[in-house]
Amino acid sequence: MTNTFEILPQPSGQSSHQCWSCGDMRAALFCDSCGSLQPAAPTDYFTFFGWPRKLNLEMPALEREYYRLSRLLHPDLFANTTTQEQTWSLQKTSHLNDAYRTLRDPILRTEYLLRLQGLQVHEKPAGASLAAAAMGESKKGASSELLEEAFELNMQLEELQMNHKMGEHDEDLERQLAEQESALVAKLAQLDGELHQQWNQWDALANTDGLPASKILDSMVELLSRRSYLRNLVRDVKEALAD
Amino acid sequence: MAYSDKVLDHYSNPRNVGSLDKNSNEVGTGLVGAPECGDVMKLQIRVNPVTQIIEEAKFKTFGCGSAIASSSLATEWVKGRTVDEALAIKNTEIVKELALPPVKIHCSVLAEDAIRAAIGDWKKKQGTEATEPAKVQAAQ
Ligand code: FES
Repeated sequence: MTNTFEILPQPSGQSSHQCWSCGDMRAALFCDSCGSLQPAAPTDYFTFFGWPRKLNLEMPALEREYYRLSRLLHPDLFANTTTQEQTWSLQKTSHLNDAYRTLRDPILRTEYLLRLQGLQVHEKPAGASLAAAAMGESKKGASSELLEEAFELNMQLEELQMNHKMGEHDEDLERQLAEQESALVAKLAQLDGELHQQWNQWDALANTDGLPASKILDSMVELLSRRSYLRNLVRDVKEALAD
Repeated sequence: MAYSDKVLDHYSNPRNVGSLDKNSNEVGTGLVGAPECGDVMKLQIRVNPVTQIIEEAKFKTFGCGSAIASSSLATEWVKGRTVDEALAIKNTEIVKELALPPVKIHCSVLAEDAIRAAIGDWKKKQGTEATEPAKVQAAQ
């Protein structure tokens, strides 16, 4: 049972509620007054860590917080408490693990934020575009160029692989494959650089609801889909070289 | 994951792999992709200008077994149909024929999208050559 919590869009901000044990208000994980563990409230992963929805994350800080919370929420600590609290500790621990796994991976983190902001990631590209829809334009053009490119690269790679399999282990071919690999890896690095720039733009925004915000989100969706075609190509070329 | 026999059949013995001249006026090309897995699929049709029947179909798919099988099946199904009949093909029929599991539904969607894209491309070409289809219609 990993997904005890709703991970899809939640109103941002901590849900405030009373501590079930002492009746005090606004407890998140533990009651501020009496320290009792609180029931599982649906919070997104950023909120769970008490952070704003920003994409630049300090890994050491994430790790520190993860280990700190793991220790505090560990089910062993609740072995002698009510079954209710035992369940909550389990649920929170599992939520914490999901949150940590998602936030520490740059791509998963970006995808998660996009979903939180209401975008459809990994759906049909046309449906994903907020800004484009608002402006009445279609994004077909950009993505068909990208598909052409991905298709072409796949074709080239297949030819190289085919020759390779036919036993033509000549140096020329090896060199071409290696060149292809470094070109693709460089492209991937370039994309990641672009993604980083978009993170910075997003993190600098004061208002995450306006048109500038949805433009940034849209370009992140576009970039991630470009990245997934490229990632496959890199995987394939590495496989070909390993054969 | 276990593939159905039909998927395996199309996968190991794909029908109509290849390409058609994308510059020909009788050829429509559809190039589509699934961003969730990074797979790409190209499907081409050659339409008889008089009968509007799809006489030839070719595909090339870089993707999973289900995507290859779906596009292979799609080329078989569109052949011999008119353009409008081909447009009626639904991904759910592909899912059924190939017994695709839920996680592989997007692979069949890709094939349906590819058919639509190819027909769309062909239609666009006919639009720019208004004289040809007009004559055909008059003759019927
Ligand atoms: S897994 Fe993506 S097309 Fe099949």
